[in-house]
Amino acid sequence: MIELSKVTKAYPTWNGLNVVLDALDCSFDGRTNVGILGRNGVGKSTLLRLISGTEPPDSGEVIRRAEVSWPIGFSGGFNGSLTGEENCRFVARIYGADVDEVVGFAMDFAELGEYFQMPVKTYSSGMRARLAFGLSMAIEFDVYLVDEVIAVGDAQFQRKCQAAFADRSDRSSVIMVSHSMATVRAYCQRCAVLEDGRLHWFDSVDEAQRMYEAG
Amino acid sequence: MRGIFIQLEVIYALLIREMKTRFGAHRLGYVWALIEPVLWIGTFVVVYYVFGHQPPPGTTLIAFLVTGFVPFDLFRDASAHAMMSISGNKGLLFYPQVRPLDLVIARVLLEAATQLTVFTLLMGGEALYIGQLHVNSLLTTLAGLGLAAGLGAGLGLLFCGLSVFFPTVERLYTPLIRPLFWFSALFYPVDLVPTVARKLLLLNPLVHAIELVRYGWFPSYGARHIDPSYPALWILVMLFFGLSLERVARRRLELS
Repeated sequence: MIELSKVTKAYPTWNGLNVVLDALDCSFDGRTNVGILGRNGVGKSTLLRLISGTEPPDSGEVIRRAEVSWPIGFSGGFNGSLTGEENCRFVARIYGADVDEVVGFAMDFAELGEYFQMPVKTYSSGMRARLAFGLSMAIEFDVYLVDEVIAVGDAQFQRKCQAAFADRSDRSSVIMVSHSMATVRAYCQRCAVLEDGRLHWFDSVDEAQRMYEAG
Repeated sequence: MRGIFIQLEVIYALLIREMKTRFGAHRLGYVWALIEPVLWIGTFVVVYYVFGHQPPPGTTLIAFLVTGFVPFDLFRDASAHAMMSISGNKGLLFYPQVRPLDLVIARVLLEAATQLTVFTLLMGGEALYIGQLHVNSLLTTLAGLGLAAGLGAGLGLLFCGLSVFFPTVERLYTPLIRPLFWFSALFYPVDLVPTVARKLLLLNPLVHAIELVRYGWFPSYGARHIDPSYPALWILVMLFFGLSLERVARRRLELS
């Protein structure tokens, strides 16, 4: 269960304040997969960061009664001079998870072979993404936050990512922001369009599509 | 309560991570922490020898220099690393439970542990060499080191907060710190400084921390002029402004 009440967020720009979220009220029940559509720059990623708690709102409140993930696939938190394993250990510790279990899962999932024991700065971007994805699947979250990308890597690894989500669907839910209709349609039961700092809710993806595409 | 528990776990995890990043890259990583103070102390042993100076009464030369350089390094490295803790770790703030303050705390703790080890090794080595060890009050010495660490934490946190708003302060730091090498009673005792100059010297809170380390270590070291509450006041004031800035800074950080 996640509740946002009167959440406002604005960023200073050269032309005054850019109000990204304007007294937003909404709640996520933690069971339904929710997709949030919006054009580039309307504040989808900002909304996700507020839900995850990475950023505080300017005013209003975000109440989390569930374990919420960081946006999936985010690999900027890795320290390049530490190995893949050491980075996983760090994240497992700060989430209070069983360190060995998390490391074992992430290692099996990411399929990096010997690279798992090498500094992350030696990784290709694809390998980083696989490690980041494996790590987010290794920790049991109630709600997974997804920024655009639900699957990473080559075709075979993407199938593995999708299977991992399907496997979790009875225990966890997804909040996804995207500008792609197809991804939202594949995963989400409920859907909203973010526009001018407000969310417009729709019971079906089709209705949302009509508004989204009408602009 | 749960909040405090999580924060302790975060700081512990950061501590291990910092330790591996700082020292883990080379097999001799930890030895580097010893090399710098040993080189400085060696230099000043030579200087004392060349000029025919004697160490202050009641002290031996190497131990006297160690009580100056180790607290100074502790202050300098803790503040420098604390100041850079946000700019060097921005990606970590993406994890909601990691606050800028945790980064600062972890770095200061690691520095304190490192310098305490250096202090123990150098003093232990010296005691083994001359074959005796008399410590006046170990707690007083530790309190002095604690004050040096606190001053480093306060200054580092203050600069860390300021650097979010004015990135240039990171460049002001080095020219600001450098003169302290000469004005912190690192390699001379405060009691030998002429009265007028001593009054100025005692305005530097680090002098009080360093002299407290010496007063605690040497059984008959005169430290008539020091006042531990003076650096403590500095620490409180710097922490107050540093912590206030940290709260504001968190909102200003761009994390994308």
